[in-house]
Amino acid sequence: MSLSKLWGTARACCSVFHVTKAPFSSIASFQKRGKVLSVQIVRQFSKKPSRIDKSADTKNYTYYVMSLVIVAIGCTFAAIPAYRIFCEQTSFGGLTQVAKDFEKISNMKKCEDRLIRVQFNSDVPSSMRWEFKPQQHEIYVHPGETALAFYTARNPTDKPIIGISSYNLTPFQAAYYFNKIQCFCFEEQILNPGEQVDLPVFFYIDPDYVNDPALEYLDSILLSYTFFEAKSGLKLPDPFDPKNRPSIAPSPDKIPEATK
Amino acid sequence: MSQTGPFIRVTTVSAPLKGSFPLDHEGTCKLEMLNYMVCLHEKKQQNSECRHVAKDYFECRMNHGLMDKEEWQKLGYGDSKQISQ
Repeated sequence: MSLSKLWGTARACCSVFHVTKAPFSSIASFQKRGKVLSVQIVRQFSKKPSRIDKSADTKNYTYYVMSLVIVAIGCTFAAIPAYRIFCEQTSFGGLTQVAKDFEKISNMKKCEDRLIRVQFNSDVPSSMRWEFKPQQHEIYVHPGETALAFYTARNPTDKPIIGISSYNLTPFQAAYYFNKIQCFCFEEQILNPGEQVDLPVFFYIDPDYVNDPALEYLDSILLSYTFFEAKSGLKLPDPFDPKNRPSIAPSPDKIPEATK
Repeated sequence: MSQTGPFIRVTTVSAPLKGSFPLDHEGTCKLEMLNYMVCLHEKKQQNSECRHVAKDYFECRMNHGLMDKEEWQKLGYGDSKQISQ
């Protein structure tokens, strides 16, 4: 059915229904209207499509389809920043994490009904000769309460060794709520020969932990520290630098210089 | 290891709020640390019972220059009476 035929049919229907302005029509006038309408419709459909009509119709069709394609392509391009803005506003993807400032700590309330068991684990790679272990296996802490835990490290060798540690938390959904106030990670720590130190970790679990439906039955978190040996004078990129985020886009300093 | 998806929370590594503890090489606060460990052991690893002993540890650290002085409110000890400068 061509567009012009559709338009003609619609016009015929409208004209038939608007002819009589009587407020209450009788059955006879209805029948008359029906007959007129059917005649009009048959007339429209029996019209042979003229040549001018056909080319205009195909042109209209092409325009409609092309505009749909362009709109679809535009949507795919616009979806990327739109999704990012959506995530930032609703903090859905964890981009705006829990606000880490002292105001929050001062005002947070302890949640009495949930008791979370935080277990501690320590690792060293085989080449690292520190003895590193947690002082307590686990600690039971309420969300909204700051807690302190200790690790010990000992250097049994006769050379000073510099270590740098990294941590890991499982399960990941609970790790989102685990905030550290102060710890001993990501900074070089030097131990002289034969020395033993206590390494404290001061943390709290965000009170929003109790409001997360995914964490309703999860009461156990594992905090795992690994101590690596650091070579002296090694400048590591700062893991908290916002410019140091992994990305696919090529950065200027990664592109090899052709002119040298 | 890490999941991806539309409704998965992305966890990014974040810095500790006050940075890193300076190492206690001389063991100046070892006594307070041992007190805290003993308290934890007695109270069956309950953090709520032993928070006052942890506060002593922090006070020791602050007094010996091993920790930046901070108000107790900001460290989560808002209900305590003393205020560190």
